[in-house]
Amino acid sequence: MEILFLVVLLVIMAGALASGYPVAFALPGSAILTILLAAATGYLFAGDDAAYFAHGSAREWLSAGVINFRGVYWEVERDTLIAIPLFVFMGIMLQRSKIAEDLLLTMAQLFGPIPGGLGISVVFVGALLAATTGILGATVVAMGLISLPAMLRNKYSSPLATGTIAASGTLGQIIPPSIVLIILADQLSSAVDQAQTQRTNLYKDTTGELSLPSEFAVSSTSAGDMFMGAMVPGLVLVGLYMLYILVIGLIRPKMAPSVPFEQKMDMRLLGRVLLILIPPLTLIFAVLGSIIAGIATVNQAGAIGAIGATIMAGYRLREGQSRAFWPAALAIVSLIAIFIITSLYDLNIRNIQTDAQRFGITVATIAVAGFVASVVWSLWRTFRTDDTLNGVMIDTAKTTSLVFIILLGAAMLTSAFRAFGGEELVKDFLTSLPGGFWTQFIIVMAVIFVLGFFLDFIEIAVVVVPIVAPILLMDPGANITAVWLGVMIGLNIQTSFLTPPFGFALFYLRGVAPRDVRTIDIYKGVVPFIALQLLALVIVGNVPSLVNYLPERLRMVSDSAPPPANPRLQYCLQQYLSEAFDEREDELRGAIDQARGLPLNLLPEDVADDLAEAFDNAEASFANMTAITDAGTAVDEAAVAYRPLQRAVRALQRVIGKIDDRVAELTTLTNRLRSTAPDSPVIASNEARIVDLEAEKAVLVAQIPEDWDPVHDSFAELTKADIQARRTFQRSADDAFEPVNDLRTVLAATETLAALEPELTAIRADVASGDPAALVERIEALRSAMREAEAGKPTVKGLSDARKALRKDPDPEKAAEDLDASIAALAEDLAWRRTAATEVLPGLESYSAALGDTIGLRQLDQLPRDPALYVAACNSEHRDISLNF
Amino acid sequence: MSTADVALPATSRTRSARMFAWIVIGATFAYVIENYLAFWQGWPGVTTLFSGDFSVLALVQVLIYAVLIAGGVLLVQRAPDRGLRDEAETMKWIANFIVRAAFWMVMLIGIADAVVSFLRVEEMLGDYIGAEMAGTWNFNSNRAPALHLPLAGLAVVIAAFTRGIGFHWLALLVVLAELAIVLTRFIFSYEQAFMGDLVRFWYGALFLFASAYTLFEDGHVRVDVLYSGFRDKAKGRVNALGAIILGIVFCWVVLIMGMSTKSSLINAPLLSLEVTQTGFGMFVKYLMAGFLGIFAVSMMVAFCAQLMDGVADWRGDPGSHLHDHDDELAGH
Repeated sequence: MEILFLVVLLVIMAGALASGYPVAFALPGSAILTILLAAATGYLFAGDDAAYFAHGSAREWLSAGVINFRGVYWEVERDTLIAIPLFVFMGIMLQRSKIAEDLLLTMAQLFGPIPGGLGISVVFVGALLAATTGILGATVVAMGLISLPAMLRNKYSSPLATGTIAASGTLGQIIPPSIVLIILADQLSSAVDQAQTQRTNLYKDTTGELSLPSEFAVSSTSAGDMFMGAMVPGLVLVGLYMLYILVIGLIRPKMAPSVPFEQKMDMRLLGRVLLILIPPLTLIFAVLGSIIAGIATVNQAGAIGAIGATIMAGYRLREGQSRAFWPAALAIVSLIAIFIITSLYDLNIRNIQTDAQRFGITVATIAVAGFVASVVWSLWRTFRTDDTLNGVMIDTAKTTSLVFIILLGAAMLTSAFRAFGGEELVKDFLTSLPGGFWTQFIIVMAVIFVLGFFLDFIEIAVVVVPIVAPILLMDPGANITAVWLGVMIGLNIQTSFLTPPFGFALFYLRGVAPRDVRTIDIYKGVVPFIALQLLALVIVGNVPSLVNYLPERLRMVSDSAPPPANPRLQYCLQQYLSEAFDEREDELRGAIDQARGLPLNLLPEDVADDLAEAFDNAEASFANMTAITDAGTAVDEAAVAYRPLQRAVRALQRVIGKIDDRVAELTTLTNRLRSTAPDSPVIASNEARIVDLEAEKAVLVAQIPEDWDPVHDSFAELTKADIQARRTFQRSADDAFEPVNDLRTVLAATETLAALEPELTAIRADVASGDPAALVERIEALRSAMREAEAGKPTVKGLSDARKALRKDPDPEKAAEDLDASIAALAEDLAWRRTAATEVLPGLESYSAALGDTIGLRQLDQLPRDPALYVAACNSEHRDISLNF
Repeated sequence: MSTADVALPATSRTRSARMFAWIVIGATFAYVIENYLAFWQGWPGVTTLFSGDFSVLALVQVLIYAVLIAGGVLLVQRAPDRGLRDEAETMKWIANFIVRAAFWMVMLIGIADAVVSFLRVEEMLGDYIGAEMAGTWNFNSNRAPALHLPLAGLAVVIAAFTRGIGFHWLALLVVLAELAIVLTRFIFSYEQAFMGDLVRFWYGALFLFASAYTLFEDGHVRVDVLYSGFRDKAKGRVNALGAIILGIVFCWVVLIMGMSTKSSLINAPLLSLEVTQTGFGMFVKYLMAGFLGIFAVSMMVAFCAQLMDGVADWRGDPGSHLHDHDDELAGH
């Protein structure tokens, strides 16, 4: 019955959507109707309103829907969404103040003389502007109104002109800071959590381990990651578009004639061009740059963008009037002042210590006041001129509302979809497909492509992504990243928007194109761009690094980069080390030998032993690394035969697992019936069903090859050996450095320790006559200072004993003895340390320097640049980890 | 204006549509009032009457429903020939008033509570309101009635004496609040939990409060593959039926799920005056649960207005808003 209601849900939803009622309410409305319908029929025909739900009751699912709904703004984890109103504000401000239009027209003029230049500049500006207003085709409409007439006037063929505009108008979906990417990031991050749970369960089922090792975890994403990930593919696309138009301009100049420069190029014009081009470009780069550099969060960057756009509007709206630029100039001067002051002083307002800081803060406050004044001034102008600010605020509120209410509505729909077991159904369908991940992936992409004809980007992102993304993300064989999936979905929907006869962009463009541009011209025009899009999709699909590398690289080189000992980095780090060992083995061995030659006999015996062992461990790293390579080769060789077998058996086991679930479910139902309604005919039919299922299961079990268990076990031995080899290597590398680092810390503290000597002798002098309680306090203080200064154990012990002797029944004589012991031990400590500092320390330092960036890598707080970049590149490829499952 | 622009005469169908809409609105307000009486004032609740526990207070609660619902019926009977468009305008006015009052509330409370939270973090609150009071204001059971409630009252008064929509200023307020974070964080290395709370408070209000107005302006996205080809009559039919079947039902679900028990997800945070768990944030999280209620009530009224307009378009009454935005799109 659940399936029936699932169909009902889809039918009602399709009907409600097709009727043209607002999507934001059609989605939750149809979800609620179906849930109520299922509850009512369940109550009427089965006596239980929960009867026709996969599990749970109507009330629970409705309540879950409303909770999801509230979660959009209630949960702090979803704060990224706050960026949406900010970027919308920025985009609408740029558009309403005509800065966007200026940019388009000026670029067109500037690049006109190049073959296809007008078209190229349309693509370029489209890419920039679309970024902020990319939803709802506003960009297509704006560009259609501004640049289509210009292109047609200049004798561009109408298919090429319309194709260019439709294609560059949709670029906004993929080029950051796109609102769509923010929503995708939000949806994907919850999908990642689900995928993670599913993968952990799979791991538990196949290996029996309770927790998933973190190197096998599903990689998460954030809005910043999505922006970075989409950057390269977006640029690839822009590049392809431009190249295409340039080529057309060159081989068919009739279709894209160059446009001669109409005005004379003089200083005045140049100034104007610069004035129009530089500020918006600077703003967009500042916004993106602050995110890329990891300085600002996406939300903060959004605020910077919104305010920057307002300041620009402040002068653009007063164009040609005197004092037009005053607020902007004030803003720039204040910003420069702020920049200078922050680089000169530490302005942490909670930690003011010096007068210089106080001065710095005063000046900074004045500068900030100046900046705020310029913002207020600009806002005042936008408020007074043509009601711009009002219009921007209303449009921002409306756009934000329409985006978010869809998000809310979809939350209810997702709840209903789960209520009727839709998620399970989709999962079963996808996982039962032959061909594994790529079949699933292609089917999902095809469905999204078709949905793109009817639904806008946000609807697809919020309706489809939560359902399919977890399934795709959990697959350990493909082991894709969430960022890559998001970007692929983005590119896919973008293509769908361009595809006749339904593509959204085409509708929008048709709406604003002059009547004499035939619809068929528009269709013809987009065909080459669709081909380019598909090309980009194929390229990005095959080279995941295009998406993954940038976010990965930024993560690895940022201040908050994961430490080298992080388990997620080990695989790539070992690969890096293996290459480094191959290249530099002689040099590294040389350094180790040199260290062995150090006069360790000058050190206390235990320290010397530790060091000798450390050098042994360093030596062993090479052999251990070879062991890793060998173990890896063994796994790879065995995998050739094992992999197809594993895939087949796991597929069978999945079906068997499902049968088991069903049997368990039926058994509980039947048992319940036996106690409530022992005469029910359902009992017998259930029992028959169970027998059938068991038979079905037996058939499947028989299909599992008999030698599966031994084959699996022996393969598991190999993977275990591989993991073991890696662990051994890690341990030897760690042990090769820890004693060295420890000794260096000890030696560095020598003079601090020496400075404590007078206090020790002073206590010794006072011990006979002094007040025991006061002495105990002094000894305690000294003891912790000694510990800080890495004093040797006998030294500290002497102090502890003396303290003990002075507490309860003070025994000054015993204390004096203990203190003498301590003094002697300290003298010994200092003696060997001072010798070691000159005889051994330099050798240790050169050992650390020589091996620190290879064997000692894991001991660092942060990876040096070279290995960090290597790891970023290595981690940005999708690694198949299915053999571990 | 041609002769076709004269309003069509009222029929029994228009009257039932109007009556339905007013009953829905009356029941909504009755539900909210009853919810307040039951969970804040400890009244027994309507349902106790049916379980046999007679009490005067429960009877009064039933009467509230009866009066508000009957009011809807009476309203229509007193003015049987009132046009659907006029009714729609009245309802839009009600929805706008609710949103306007709510806007002033979040703006005033947002600013006031942010200032108080700032003073509290910096341990300066005592200097302004006395150390004892500052101590009691560490608990929302004291701060909310002393600070938030009077401001909420003031907001309603301001809303009654102002016009316009108001909520759109929240767009700017969100930008400015986030800008404040940028400036203090990057220049003075100063960032506190209450600053993020303020942004979140205003942003939640922004899109929830803007929804009703967006509906009036036909700003919510439609799948217009078919819709754009419909004649006005068909569009009116879609909007009228959609408002009842999809919209009003949806709002009722939100209200009932949010308010039916003490632990429901609108009531629970409001009753416990929930605040964020991070130390020294604002004390307004409970109000954000209330946003959902304001959203549901304002949308309920808005859907009733949409129903009126929809029936009017279905009949072909003049004054249609269906084409208001055609020019706007072309002029973008």
